[in-house]
Amino acid sequence: MESLLQYLDRFSELLVVSRTTHVRTWDPLTVRRALQWARYLRHIYRRFGRHGPIRTTLERRLHSQWRQEGGFGRGPVPGLANFQALGHGDVLLSLRLLENQALGDAARHYLVQQLFPGPGVPDADETLQESLARLARCGSAVHMLRFNGCRKNLNLQEDSLMKTQAELLLERLQEVGKAEAEGPARFLSSLWERLPQNNFLKVIAVALLQPPLSPRPQEESEPSIHKTPGEGSQALVHWLLGNSEVFAAFCRALPAGILTLVTSRHPALSPVYLGLLTDWGQRLHYDLQKGIWVETESQDVPWEELHNRFQSLCQAPPPLKDKVLTALETCKAQDGDFEVPGLSIWTDLLLALRSGAFRKRQVLGLSPGLSSV
Amino acid sequence: MAQDSVDLSCDYQFWMQKLSVWDQASTLETQQDTCLHLTQFQEFLRKMYETLKDMNSNTIFERFPTIDQLLAKACWNPFILAYDESQKILIWCLCCLINKEPQNSRQSKLNSWIQGILSHILSALRFDKEVALFTQGLGYAPVDYYPGLLKNMVLSLASELRENHLHGFNTQRRMTPERLASLSRVCVPLITLPDVDPLVEALLVCHGHEPQEILQPEFFEAVNEAILLKKISLPMSAVVCLWLRHLPSLEKAMLHLFEKLISSERNCLRRIECFIKDSSLPQAACHPAIFRVVDEMFRCALLESDGAPEIIATIQVFTQCFVEALGKENKQLRFALKTYFPYTSPSLAVVLLQDPQDVPREHWLQTLKHISELLREAVEDQTHGSRGDPLESWFLFVHFGGWAEMVAEQLLRSAAEPPAALLWLLAFYYSPHDGRQQRAQTMVQVKAVLGHLLAMSGSSSLSARDLQTAAGQGTETDPRAPAQQLVRRLLLHFVLWAPGGHTIAHDAIALMAHTAEITYEIIGFLDQTLYRWDRLGIESPRSGKLARELLKELRTQV
Repeated sequence: MESLLQYLDRFSELLVVSRTTHVRTWDPLTVRRALQWARYLRHIYRRFGRHGPIRTTLERRLHSQWRQEGGFGRGPVPGLANFQALGHGDVLLSLRLLENQALGDAARHYLVQQLFPGPGVPDADETLQESLARLARCGSAVHMLRFNGCRKNLNLQEDSLMKTQAELLLERLQEVGKAEAEGPARFLSSLWERLPQNNFLKVIAVALLQPPLSPRPQEESEPSIHKTPGEGSQALVHWLLGNSEVFAAFCRALPAGILTLVTSRHPALSPVYLGLLTDWGQRLHYDLQKGIWVETESQDVPWEELHNRFQSLCQAPPPLKDKVLTALETCKAQDGDFEVPGLSIWTDLLLALRSGAFRKRQVLGLSPGLSSV
Repeated sequence: MAQDSVDLSCDYQFWMQKLSVWDQASTLETQQDTCLHLTQFQEFLRKMYETLKDMNSNTIFERFPTIDQLLAKACWNPFILAYDESQKILIWCLCCLINKEPQNSRQSKLNSWIQGILSHILSALRFDKEVALFTQGLGYAPVDYYPGLLKNMVLSLASELRENHLHGFNTQRRMTPERLASLSRVCVPLITLPDVDPLVEALLVCHGHEPQEILQPEFFEAVNEAILLKKISLPMSAVVCLWLRHLPSLEKAMLHLFEKLISSERNCLRRIECFIKDSSLPQAACHPAIFRVVDEMFRCALLESDGAPEIIATIQVFTQCFVEALGKENKQLRFALKTYFPYTSPSLAVVLLQDPQDVPREHWLQTLKHISELLREAVEDQTHGSRGDPLESWFLFVHFGGWAEMVAEQLLRSAAEPPAALLWLLAFYYSPHDGRQQRAQTMVQVKAVLGHLLAMSGSSSLSARDLQTAAGQGTETDPRAPAQQLVRRLLLHFVLWAPGGHTIAHDAIALMAHTAEITYEIIGFLDQTLYRWDRLGIESPRSGKLARELLKELRTQV
């Protein structure tokens, strides 16, 4: 077991070095050793990586490596970044070396020979050559489907690219959570600081909307992205609740419909969301001349936007919808319970929502009846 | 050798030009043209690799100065990279260009350049910078998530197709024909990539609402090819959709089956049954449109071969597999019999489609008489305006080997007076073209032979000569004449069943089989009889053993 862990450490180091100019010093023997270690670890992963003490030991070692490299507060881990990567460590290593132009002539020649030995390779299981060919084929497939077939104007949560990023995020959060109790929160904060924020927010939304797959799908030999249910999303919700300015950005950046779906799925978020909406509402004042509610400062949320959000929320299924209406009624009461427009934004919102609902019922041919609004 | 190298140089020029025109295959024309040439280009790459692998880098550049351009152009075409093994062979060719020991900086640079191209091929063409930053930020490399991404894209497209199929009337959500066509083109190189199966299936099954076919024919051809070579596994519903939407594919599948049957061992019905079941055609034929096409092709084959017994046997096995498949179909979704056999009277179709296994043995004679009556009515009746051509009725009857091959046996095994209906049926089966008089004559002849055989069946000491005399052989000149075939059939049945028959079996057959063709005929008969007995469970141990022995012996003679 100890020697296995040493292999793990060495290999992780190798991965780090493979990206640096240090490879200039590598000779064919070094390349050979590196590939051997990778192959050995891949074999171990495939045989024992599903369950049991070996997996736990390996994971723990990886986690301690990550903690040594500064935990999750810093940038991406330079070495072995996730456990499943052991299943194709040889591919990872090979690609990094191929990308590295500092590789010497002899080492390069040896590497290429090893990676692409030609036809008639007698191995029983999938060789490195086949894995690489498949990756190239996969890449072309994605490229062609993206530019020749995929729809552009999809709902956010249906977009494959968004979905894949969300799955990756959830998987990573789960792994980080195993490594360190406070890991996910620190990790997410570091991502927030480093990555393009707009994209990140969208990915978070999609991640929060991923369907929960309760029974774990049967383990395949392909190191696929494991769809884990609650843990990742819980970590996300927890983090959003703990970071108010992130949540505010989240609520502003995403469209009304998405936010409604998210808050329906994760009730813990609804009080904070409503609170935010209330704050936004209070920043608007009534312009007597124009007869509309206007922003006090340019970055405030305008009336239409606010109305949209509330309208969307009122179309959500019961627990959320009722909460929203109660909140609005309460605010209206606090303001003085006016029925006349132009005095309290809450009155006006309720009026707008009611008439909107009435008109909708008319259009749909429903009887005016007792509107629940 | 020299000719090969000249060919290669010509090909080289051709492909260099093609690649330049195709560029990155971003227009409809370049995509279509690339799809048409994918297989040939891969063959060319293989030939190139075979040539290059024994040469060193300098020699290669002397022979093909622009090889680096050719290979680089190929790498920029995603259709080529996506197809089958092309990306692998391309990589092998590039590896051949690497200088083992670079002498100067130019050679070193070349090595670096090749390394770069290899890296490019494998880098899984990236797109949005934001996405790349995100995944890297999480600590993932493309190899970690590309399979998952492909899966998500495929599932998303498949569900979009399904939605389009079900709710396409809502024009806002409809998939434009251009997009569908484009999608089908893009799938052509990807068909043998298992991750793409759900998309291929969805494209086949969901045909939207346009009146004419939108998907590109290259797509159908590529799918069909993959199905025939077993490089893809699709559910039966998808295969049926393919064959319904693209007739050439169905025809090709039939031809593929014929080729297999021709090139396999002659006269082995068990093997024929295997091939037929393997082709999925019987199940597909449960759809009447497919059955009609398949039946038509069988009819053509039969006519062109002048009624060759092997073709008849194949039709019979196919029909048997087809009836089995039909029986397994969901009763509510079954088509009426009339759609499969539009020119036949429904009562005849119903009787013929019965499996002898499902009819009690005592009723077999009665059933055969009934079949005979109905067929005779169809053949001899000119007034009802049905398709009175005797060949049609014969072709129909020929399908059902279970009954057709039973007639001779039934006649021989009943001691009573041979029923005229069965005599007629037997004569009709062996010569459908005969006029009434000719047929009546044949029936008389057969009756006489049967009489003789019946007389001989009781006797314990027989000789092969006796048999020949009983059959009245030697009087006809043409051994291939249908009457001769018929009589041979009766004799063979007799030899297998009669108590004294087995003693004279070898001699009798030796006398009969004086040409190779007749020997094959007898082999075919024995194989078919054993196959039939096996299915119906009517074998007696002695007859079976005898038949097997005879078969083995005859097979060694040809």
